[in-house]
Amino acid sequence: MRSLALVYHEDYLLHEHTPTHPERRERLQYTMDQLEEEGLLDDPAVSFVAPSPATVEQLERVHTRDYLEELRSMSAAGEGKLSVDTHVSEHTWESARLAAGGVIEGLEAPRSDAYDTAFVMARPGGHHAFADRGHGFCFLNNTAVGLRHLQATADVDRILVWDWDAHHGDGTQSIFYDDPGVLVLSTHQSGETLFPGTGFVDEVGEGAGEGYNVNVPLPRRTGDSAYLEVVEEVFEPVTRQYDPDLLFVEAGQDNHFTDPITDLGVTASGYASLMERAVGVADEVDATLVASLAGGYAIEAGLPYTNLAVFASLLGYDTSNIREPAIYGPPPSSPGVGDVIDEVQRAHADYWDFPG
Amino acid sequence: MILGIDTGGTNVDAVLVDDGRVAAKAKVPNDRTRESVESVLAALRDDWSTTTVDRVVVSTTVVTNAAVQDRLPRCTNALMPGPGLSPERYDFAEELAVLPGCIDHRGRLTEELEFDGAVETPVVAATAKFAARNPRLELDFQEAVDLDDSHLALGSESGADLTFPERAATTVANAKTKPVFADYHADLAAALDASGIDAPVYDLKGDGAMLAEHTMRSTPAHTLRCGAAASTLGLLALTGVTDAVCVDIGGTTTDVARVTDGFPETDRTTTQGDIDPAYAGVTSESLPLGGDIRVERGPDGPALTNRREGNAAAFGGDAPTLTDALHVTGAFEGGDVSAARTALRPVADGDVETAARAVVDRYVEAVVPVIDDIAGPDVTHAILGGVLAPYLAERLVDRSTRLDAWTVPDHADVAGAVGCAAARVSVETSVHIDSERGVMTVSSLGSEYEEDVEEGRRFTDEEVERIAVDRARAAAEAAGGDPTAACEVLSADRFNVVNNRRIAGEIVDVRARVVPGLAAGFAGEL
Repeated sequence: MRSLALVYHEDYLLHEHTPTHPERRERLQYTMDQLEEEGLLDDPAVSFVAPSPATVEQLERVHTRDYLEELRSMSAAGEGKLSVDTHVSEHTWESARLAAGGVIEGLEAPRSDAYDTAFVMARPGGHHAFADRGHGFCFLNNTAVGLRHLQATADVDRILVWDWDAHHGDGTQSIFYDDPGVLVLSTHQSGETLFPGTGFVDEVGEGAGEGYNVNVPLPRRTGDSAYLEVVEEVFEPVTRQYDPDLLFVEAGQDNHFTDPITDLGVTASGYASLMERAVGVADEVDATLVASLAGGYAIEAGLPYTNLAVFASLLGYDTSNIREPAIYGPPPSSPGVGDVIDEVQRAHADYWDFPG
Repeated sequence: MILGIDTGGTNVDAVLVDDGRVAAKAKVPNDRTRESVESVLAALRDDWSTTTVDRVVVSTTVVTNAAVQDRLPRCTNALMPGPGLSPERYDFAEELAVLPGCIDHRGRLTEELEFDGAVETPVVAATAKFAARNPRLELDFQEAVDLDDSHLALGSESGADLTFPERAATTVANAKTKPVFADYHADLAAALDASGIDAPVYDLKGDGAMLAEHTMRSTPAHTLRCGAAASTLGLLALTGVTDAVCVDIGGTTTDVARVTDGFPETDRTTTQGDIDPAYAGVTSESLPLGGDIRVERGPDGPALTNRREGNAAAFGGDAPTLTDALHVTGAFEGGDVSAARTALRPVADGDVETAARAVVDRYVEAVVPVIDDIAGPDVTHAILGGVLAPYLAERLVDRSTRLDAWTVPDHADVAGAVGCAAARVSVETSVHIDSERGVMTVSSLGSEYEEDVEEGRRFTDEEVERIAVDRARAAAEAAGGDPTAACEVLSADRFNVVNNRRIAGEIVDVRARVVPGLAAGFAGEL
């Protein structure tokens, strides 16, 4: 049995863009509801771990002092906007620091021998936050704050981030773009059809980080088996060669076929497979695996089932009965992704070997 | 008047409580429920008129005994899990049937039940995921299967605030114990009827609260630990203490429990035999050591076994017991001292008095570590009950490293029956409101029910709490309790439902209960 730290805090429900915004508190509430009814919150393998807000010192490893001050004062004033859809309210500063602190806690949990793995169920998200600005519902780059903390306090040489959110993690890419110690591999709906319009194959990193940024932009309606092809042809070979100490999954649940703001075709069962593959390759290269919730806006039809799938896979539980209720299906038929995979393999031919 | 009847493993005790006082008491051996209850009531009869009984409260060990002795019927655990973790995890019964059908987290029926009604076990437990928000699949199951209420248990009747696996395990426990409990109540009803008593009957639960018999019949697994609950509640009622360790010295067992802030502590580990309900029970350590436990010759003198083989020799039995040892030391004089000496002689190396003192020492040595462990650092006072309590209390407290004071109240010999009479109704109720669907579901004990709410309605905190308290009071009244009793809100959560960028309603989860405690006007007045 694997033991899992569930990093969660009631205050993750406080931050609000607007009551009807897609990134609203119910994202976590329906999921917690499902996990509770499944008995997972009382499962002896699962422990609640409460995060602390990230400290200024921890935030400043990633963000500029000016940006932090702008965000803090906007939140103190009780209103403001970073972009047309990214609203600051009175709780935003505290919630965002608590979300960044959540990733720190999630990374700390397996360092003690008490937990094998961790899942950070936080909001607001972070992967669209840059050093000096935020957008795309993101304020602080939770993942970057967590990983910089880990680099500063632990003996880790190589961290692989698999950002499987439907949106390209432009903030995370920019922060680690020249860092060979953090390989960012992003699978996402192509920037040609989805916010933020970045994350193309030729963005491969720069300087010492060249070759350590892998983008796999996918066509609309990409489904379970196409994602598994990407896993086999890109994610697994790169992970095996990079041999990370830590595999961090930025688990965006907005690839689900019912998601209202994206256009992909993954099912809950597909999510279980993706995480099972991640667990498998992490075990193979002896890396710790930690996952953190990113996007996901199918609040009723997707999140309760995709989060359950990810959770159960992290625990090593049988996921064969995890699916969305039949009223939502079936997903659209998926296009092929062979061309995208070829393109990625060609762009990275100088850095990584690909089988076949 | 309140009639309390404690049907334990060894004896049936009864008390009549009138105006906060024990007006009469009786104790008879427990042979068969009907005959023993009739004879204990006959033993009370000189002192009272049956027409003045306002209520009868009973505690029974029949469920616990049947579970411990592996006498419960085979059960099918019929699950309607919908999507989620593998139902194969939930092997709570001899048979597992996983059926198509799904209620989702919103309480919507998203997939219909498919079930031909065929089952192969005498009792069946039917549990659907999220049935606390919509019992429809379970009711469809009930309609399809040919079983009466005493052989079928439904998850939606098993109680509030349980997760799907907890509800499934609890429903199996209820299904398996329904027949033995129904038999017990038939015997009890016959005995009460024969004795001319026509008053509402209540059962004590393992957590120290009571329920009307008709409610308890759907959740008989609630009786696990009720023996410990009865004696602890009785000792509490007889002394009015608020913080103490309670020690009930019976014929077969010694039960140790802890009272904090005026009520027994409870936990949710009431597993017994192969049933594992998620009901709370009084936190209690039950040692297989009591007055009728047989003494044998051991390597270092006399030793206690863990078995009762009948009465003490002083009371007509064959084998030497702790009770006999207390006769020989002169502490206890209720029975035949020479029979006690004769029985004890074969286990004595030297003189019988020395052996008798050694037997008492063995008992004290075995029990004190458990008492000290349960007492913890903060408790210094022990309340002791049972027939032998007056003769063992001082020795136990002298040996303890935690305790420095003890009380054996009057009527300690019938503490369990007093505890029954002192109980009151407490039911936890949970309310789930989905105002986008216009539905409110109320789960308590017994059948869950739905009420309509105005579609799109939003609630204030005060409204949410009032809804829960009203429903908890109604549930308490339905279970035979006092609807004006103090009520507490245990938790309240709510969030919006957004459709097409509009707030279309609200989802509310709130739990409340009548505060558990002693029947009003009882504690401290005895």
